[in-house]
Amino acid sequence: MHSTLKLTVSHAPFWHNGSSISTKSRNILLASLVAVIPGCYQYGMAAVGVVTLSIASAILWELLINFISRRPISVGDGNAALIGMMFAMMLPATMPWWAVITGTFFAVVIGKEIFGGIGANPFNPAVLAMTILMLSWADLFDFNAALLNYQFDFKAVYPLVLSKTFGASAVDPFALMDLLFGKQIGGIGSTFGIGLIAGGVYLILRGFVRWEISFSFLVGIFVSALCFNILNPEAYAGPGFHLLTGYTLIGAFFLATEDSSSPVNFIPMLIYGLLGGALTVLIRNIGTHIDGVLYAILIINLVNPIVDKIRPKALGKGV
Amino acid sequence: MIKRSFFGLVKPKLQYEIIDEAQAEPVRIKPGKQIMLYIDQPDENAGNALFKIGDPVKSGQKVTLSDGSADYLLSSKSGQISKISPFVGILGKKSTSLTIDVDGESSQSRDESFKSACQAPSLENARDFLAGLPGKPDFNVFFDSEKPVKAIVVLGADDDLLGITNQYFVKNNIIAIKTGIELLCKITGISHAILIVPQQLEQVAGSSGAIIKTVDSEYPSAHPELIMQHMLASEDVDAKSKSGIAFFSSEAVCAIGAAYTTGKFFLEKMVTFVSKDGNKRLVSVPIGTPLQDILNEFNETLNDGDRVVFGGPMKGVSVFSTDTPVMPDTDTIIIQDKRQITEGSDIACINCGECVRVCPANIQVNQLIRFLEAGQYEEAADQHDLFSCIECGFCSYVCESRIPVFQHIKLAKHTLESMKAAEESNA
Ligand code: SF4
Ligand code: SF4
Repeated sequence: MHSTLKLTVSHAPFWHNGSSISTKSRNILLASLVAVIPGCYQYGMAAVGVVTLSIASAILWELLINFISRRPISVGDGNAALIGMMFAMMLPATMPWWAVITGTFFAVVIGKEIFGGIGANPFNPAVLAMTILMLSWADLFDFNAALLNYQFDFKAVYPLVLSKTFGASAVDPFALMDLLFGKQIGGIGSTFGIGLIAGGVYLILRGFVRWEISFSFLVGIFVSALCFNILNPEAYAGPGFHLLTGYTLIGAFFLATEDSSSPVNFIPMLIYGLLGGALTVLIRNIGTHIDGVLYAILIINLVNPIVDKIRPKALGKGV
Repeated sequence: MIKRSFFGLVKPKLQYEIIDEAQAEPVRIKPGKQIMLYIDQPDENAGNALFKIGDPVKSGQKVTLSDGSADYLLSSKSGQISKISPFVGILGKKSTSLTIDVDGESSQSRDESFKSACQAPSLENARDFLAGLPGKPDFNVFFDSEKPVKAIVVLGADDDLLGITNQYFVKNNIIAIKTGIELLCKITGISHAILIVPQQLEQVAGSSGAIIKTVDSEYPSAHPELIMQHMLASEDVDAKSKSGIAFFSSEAVCAIGAAYTTGKFFLEKMVTFVSKDGNKRLVSVPIGTPLQDILNEFNETLNDGDRVVFGGPMKGVSVFSTDTPVMPDTDTIIIQDKRQITEGSDIACINCGECVRVCPANIQVNQLIRFLEAGQYEEAADQHDLFSCIECGFCSYVCESRIPVFQHIKLAKHTLESMKAAEESNA
């Protein structure tokens, strides 16, 4: 009798394209390694320590929340690990262990879980945590002081500090090529420009991040930096410098593109990116902060729900 | 199953199946011992029903539960009713299944009541006799005085993936389609007939005498709703009368033509049968034949956890049992191995936007799903375009969180509609 046969019954559709959150997280982690490994090479075991601690503690925070809130274990989707990685990429290698763990607490618990977990966070969790930490312990992020004990074969000064305090001519010694190949100090995974670009392009080609956001973010930086530069080439560094220093590249490819806090429609994505880029340069050039990427990203995260309302009309609803 | 391509920069694409130049002739499945007819009516008046267990049924005879009901089927074989049982279908719909023990090949008898009706073809006798033909033609649209039908659209393309049933008739039976269309135009008095075909069949379709429109090969362009929108936009029909279009499948048109010219019903359904290994065959099956008979023909075995889909992979319905019969609108049957099934999940939406970018109705699915998951169906309908959805299933197909979005949508629509119906009946 075939009545004992237990067929699977479910709702249409009966196909799925096979994508999943864990595949996405895995690929973004993979792409970030291209920038993180050279960083670790540059800063040694201390950097490896920061990265692994950050990832591990991010996962543990999420597990803890899973237990406390009695929700299914969600660390398997790799999102917590990804947040840990993103966070570590922005840190200097000298970050003390307690600051790393506090940071991932802010990222995972305050940045994501209290909003309802994955997909519900209005801000990029890693960026939020970074800004909280920067406001609380500013001296930990003084890259010049932090990395004093390292020997580099290049000018060991945080480039954005130079341009900020001494104007555009001070950054002349930085050849763009050197910046591109990570010959600058900064966060563990934020300085190796070519690696970030390669990782970003990989993610774009595979469709894991939306090119519209990365592209328009970079265009926003380029155009606004160019404007400043043309107006006053003495005081303001050129667009190439802005594109390759600070958190610009990691911001464009890895941070601004975080799913939950970015728009999904075409025109909103462009506005979001352009605005982010322009704000970055504004903050860098006329604000009081040294780097503007993180604040710019928080601000565009904030306007995301509003810009994402610009969208085509649904079928059958007016013209 | 079509998976996401390695490069994901471009929008995911799902291509319709295109019938092969050398498509093998359909395999004819011989009638088995029993056929089953599912009637869309609850078995409420079991006592005074038109049919009782033991009643004889002739082939071509109308089988229904109450007189004059629009819900009837045509028995494809003659025999004796051996079982009548209620069952609950998708979304709690109450139906009745009638099992008929089929007479031997030599003692088949035919119901002749259509013989006289076919002398004077009319919309009324089409409605009363032909709605049980393969392809399930719907004539009720012509009787809605509020929305006069302005055009007849014949679907010569299949509107779900994998299926080639409709294309088969365009490719091999265009003359029958021509006859059918002429008859339809005659009985409805509508001269505007359009035949929708995939590009590859444009040439063949030309001899149908109808206006030919092609649809492209990407899902869901052959979706009737999209075709309708397209036609409304191009002002082929009066934009104000929204439902002023009657859709027929090419198979139904052939069957209608044949019924009026011969006075006999052709009650074999053409089905695209896709076995576990992905092999596609056309089969011609008497309506009501249980799936098991087809499985036996091809030595296809099923195990626990496998899935059987009636209809295409995007819009079909999965069934509980291999006893499920082939119905007049079963265009495709797909057998899926357990290992081919992607499980859904209850992870929240991560706002990746894939669904928004594929939705043909421009719905902000990422917003919509939040309201649906929270059960806020009215907000979903008022502010998030729930009713613009044409039910193509594409959003579930691409969802990175593997949320059963389409199921949420169907449930929400159903809930709202039944609430509305309840309100109206109370008023
Ligand atoms: S089923 Fe999904 S993709 Fe298709 S129209 Fe509806 S919301 Fe859009
Ligand atoms: S595809 Fe799924 S996870 Fe992505 S936005 Fe749509 S509903 Fe959310």
